[in-house]
Amino acid sequence: MHSLPWIILFAPLLAAAGITLFTLRNPARSALLSVSAVAVAFVLSVVAFLVFPAPSAPVELSGVWLAVGSLQVEFGVRLDPLSLVMLLIVTGVGGVIHVYSCGYMRGDRGTGRYFACLSFFTFSMLLVVLATNFLQLFIGWELVGLSSYLLIGFWYERESAAEACKKAFLTNRLGDVGFLLGIILVWATLGSLHFGELAAVLETTPGALGAVASLAGLLVFCGAMGKSAQFPLHVWLPDAMEGPTPVSALIHAATMVAAGVYLLCRVFFLLEATPAWPDAAPAWLDGITALGVVGWIGGVTALLAALIAVQQDDIKRILAYSTLSQLGYMMMAVGLSAPVPAMFHLATHAFFKALLFLGAGAVIVSLHHEQNIWRMGGLHARMPATAWTFLIATLALCGVPPFSGFFSKDAILAAALDPARGSGGLFLVGVAVAFLTAFYMTRLVLVTFQGTPRSAPASEAVETSPVMKWPLVVLAVPAALAGFWSIDRFLDRHFHPAAAAPASGWFEQWVAPLVHAPLAVLLSLVAVGLGFYTAYLLYRGAATDPLPAKLGLLARGMRAKFYLDELNAWCIRLTHDALARLADWIDRWIIAGVMVRGTHGTTELVGRALRLVQSGNLQTYVLVVVLGIAAVLWLALGPRP
Amino acid sequence: MPLLTTIIVLPLAAALLVALVPRDLRFGIRLVALAATLADLILATVLFLQFDPGTAGYQCVHRVPWVSALGIEYHVGVDGVNVGLVLLAAVVAFAAACASWEIRSREKEFYLLLLIMAGGVLGAFASLDLVFFYGFHELALVPTFIMIGVWGRGEEREYATFKITLYLTLGALLALVGLLALYLQLPAGDRTFDVERLTAYFQAHPMSEAAQQWIFPVLMFGFGILVSLWPFHTWAPPAYSAAPTPTAMLHAGVLKKFGLYGLIRIAVPLMPEGAQRWLPVLAALCLGNLLHVGWVAMRQENLNRLFANSSVAHMGFAFLGIASLTQIGLAGAVVVMVAHGFLAALMFGLGGHLWQQTRTLEMNDLGGLLRQAPFLGTATIMAMLAGCGLPGFANFAGEVLVLFGASKTVTLASPHTWVALAAWAGLVIGAVYMLRAVRRIFHGPLAGHSAGVPDMSGWRRVPFVLLLGALMVFGCFPRGLTDNLQLPAALIVAPAAPRAPALAATPAAPGSPPAAMPRSSAMP
Repeated sequence: MHSLPWIILFAPLLAAAGITLFTLRNPARSALLSVSAVAVAFVLSVVAFLVFPAPSAPVELSGVWLAVGSLQVEFGVRLDPLSLVMLLIVTGVGGVIHVYSCGYMRGDRGTGRYFACLSFFTFSMLLVVLATNFLQLFIGWELVGLSSYLLIGFWYERESAAEACKKAFLTNRLGDVGFLLGIILVWATLGSLHFGELAAVLETTPGALGAVASLAGLLVFCGAMGKSAQFPLHVWLPDAMEGPTPVSALIHAATMVAAGVYLLCRVFFLLEATPAWPDAAPAWLDGITALGVVGWIGGVTALLAALIAVQQDDIKRILAYSTLSQLGYMMMAVGLSAPVPAMFHLATHAFFKALLFLGAGAVIVSLHHEQNIWRMGGLHARMPATAWTFLIATLALCGVPPFSGFFSKDAILAAALDPARGSGGLFLVGVAVAFLTAFYMTRLVLVTFQGTPRSAPASEAVETSPVMKWPLVVLAVPAALAGFWSIDRFLDRHFHPAAAAPASGWFEQWVAPLVHAPLAVLLSLVAVGLGFYTAYLLYRGAATDPLPAKLGLLARGMRAKFYLDELNAWCIRLTHDALARLADWIDRWIIAGVMVRGTHGTTELVGRALRLVQSGNLQTYVLVVVLGIAAVLWLALGPRP
Repeated sequence: MPLLTTIIVLPLAAALLVALVPRDLRFGIRLVALAATLADLILATVLFLQFDPGTAGYQCVHRVPWVSALGIEYHVGVDGVNVGLVLLAAVVAFAAACASWEIRSREKEFYLLLLIMAGGVLGAFASLDLVFFYGFHELALVPTFIMIGVWGRGEEREYATFKITLYLTLGALLALVGLLALYLQLPAGDRTFDVERLTAYFQAHPMSEAAQQWIFPVLMFGFGILVSLWPFHTWAPPAYSAAPTPTAMLHAGVLKKFGLYGLIRIAVPLMPEGAQRWLPVLAALCLGNLLHVGWVAMRQENLNRLFANSSVAHMGFAFLGIASLTQIGLAGAVVVMVAHGFLAALMFGLGGHLWQQTRTLEMNDLGGLLRQAPFLGTATIMAMLAGCGLPGFANFAGEVLVLFGASKTVTLASPHTWVALAAWAGLVIGAVYMLRAVRRIFHGPLAGHSAGVPDMSGWRRVPFVLLLGALMVFGCFPRGLTDNLQLPAALIVAPAAPRAPALAATPAAPGSPPAAMPRSSAMP
């Protein structure tokens, strides 16, 4: 049993190494290795889940990875309800996507490399999930960033893919600086990096972090902002769609981008610590808490991304902005001190969003890599399995009962209404986003699957091969039913180990949201219904988008992603590029130019003398050195007093 | 012959042998160089593996008295600090000998100089007597100048040779003045060049404050110039882009670390008060390396110049680790030295190989190389990722240690500012210039001179696989280096930083923690 989590962790790494070293040129064997590794990991994760002890004491195994003086870093695995849920998502959803990839990547010359990267990603993600301490998590964090870079740039000969992977890595790095500084700050203050130890210290003395509490929380949040693509670091995620579609499903929808939310839940004790700022900090910071910032950044991201999604035409980009928006929801939940709903939504979102992306991938393959929804249409009749599963996922995403998304989204909205920790503003944002979500998803479904085919490939599309169809069906089950699986109750054991969860049947769970927060349920359902209705009116049978004419400037802004990319580019040009230019100029003209050449000019004679010595003759050189040493020795030692 | 002495003498003896081989026997010359460096590599690995991190003091010591009247003797030995550096030197020397296939003229002289350089650099790191310490360094440095001048490439060759000679001779002379001044601080009867005795003496009888205040900066700037401390770094980019590949690998990888080693071994432990006074200056200058040179690297259009600038920038981390005067920071500095040694050799080796194929390293002329030459491309991209501090490569472990150490330092007024700026430089600026280069040279459609470049094949891959392997082994298991460093790092900073918090927890039982330590209950 001791070896169980280690096998889960290292099986994908072994597969990645095996593929890289031996089967890179053999697509079938590479796929087999990669799929069996993730299958082993999934089966063992289920076993770990089943044998996990009822009282939720975390299980931990570790060795010392690095130890110098007071710095002790372990490499280990930590099993608790939080990591178990993530483990099942990563290996389960990941496994399905691995199988799907076998069909999607068929015929690509880089299939071996693809599966090596995919397995490496699974390993890195498991490293993040199972980490026992901050630095180990950071290592996994950087490695998922690397695998994301490699997979976005999988077709690196395409200029757009090459640019996109660079952008993703660099944007992530911006957040990671903050994350690393936060880690160092926590260590410098509390002297430990271990999650369990830190949580214990902060539980007994909530003020242990002293004046740096808020700063530490916000710095760690920087990391989450990068990886989970929160405003203003969200710009990389839509571009990341340059990668193969299964990668978008696994990395840029279900797992990696959710790692930021997981991180914040993992270190929730840090965000909860008594907020405080250093004395030197300006007074206006006093009212600002780390959790408040997390909540509002999440809210802004959710709203902004949903607005942009309304006017995108690329099927993958719509889903990408939808992912951003849902990640904003999760961040909002964390900010509302509701980590359980956040993780619950993370889980259901992983199912239905992965399904949506895989469905989109099936459409894209059938249409010979056409991604513009206005060149699709009428696919429902031609690809029924894809269409039905896509519809299930859409309903789950919009939060229609009894699909999984309804329960998790509702839990977040209920948290926003909670009198103690809630926020009326964030609740309104949540409802508005629910409306927009229903609107853009209805638009997507109607334009893609209904109406008449608007291009030749669309009228000739056929259902994809079984290896791509069945994963859709398999994923549709949790997308529909995960709301009844008591994921939230299981997670409750992690965050509130003292409170015994009351046992309840299916029906109680079904109506629980209605009983707890009827207002939240009511308003969100009204918003969703309204979204469905308006989109239905606008897009039923539409051949072009009627919205730009109706909204004018706003639609143009949405279409152009509110010019945030341009703004970012302009900022970078103004700061970093300008500094680089200046530094280069100083280096060339001041340091190397004026100072060095100037000195050289005044000592022209010395220079000439040295040029003479510059004969390339070894004896001369050695002689000069020996003479020099002798002379100095004589000067120093010779005339003794 | 004792192991350590064998390691030093082997390349020098091979140099003698090369001198005796007729110049027509090119294969024989090359074989001698390869065999000698390979044997050295094996011996150095043995030395590294049998090193006991739990024992204080030097191991594998070998002494031969020489000029007793002046207190000079041949004295070599390793502790946790230089055992890694000796391994580094041996690995890079072998890799450089492998990469010397590109030399097609006057091979005999080239291999002769290369072997002398290797022996010199190994001797410099192993010596515990100031005369040999310095002498071996000069023995390695002089061939560098000749090799750049004679076998160098590009139009800037003359200027580059001239510049590096001027700078490094100046640095070495400053260091010599400092070392002699140290020697003269002892009373006439007790004078010795022996590092161990000097350290013991100055710990018992601290040097006068006034002497420390002038000797320390002389050594700091002297050694600093050798390591391309900002603003004395401008010799590096032209020199490394003009140097023949093996020379750039050995100099940037290993020889350059001599200055840092000198600071750690001699300047800091012998002059604690001088260190407290002057290390903040070093910390300020190292930001020049990290930020200024990083930005300069962002503007480079030539791959080798990019590598050279990044190599200068990385030295900032080593300086910062030393300047932090903490056990963690100092250990980090040594890890950075070793990691960067492998990395610099890798970068210049790959750059040199590419230049042989394309005769250009201008990024505008290249593009889409990854498809054309997968091994070359993958290896270079891995090197670049290691250069931007990706976990899994040894550089990450070193940089993280430096940052953790710097956050606890007492030498800086606002350590958090330094940590933040250094992290920015390492994580963001480094990533920007590295990934831009990957984008332009390896990604995108095939362009310009990239067409027709053959991939690296067969045994030519050996040095690069070796270097990448070393980076990854120490990246995944940094304890291979840090366990050795626990004890010496604590001893080196102890006199200079009595208030350093890191000292409160000097190693409880170094070397004893087992590989796996179950923390709490196991799986049921």
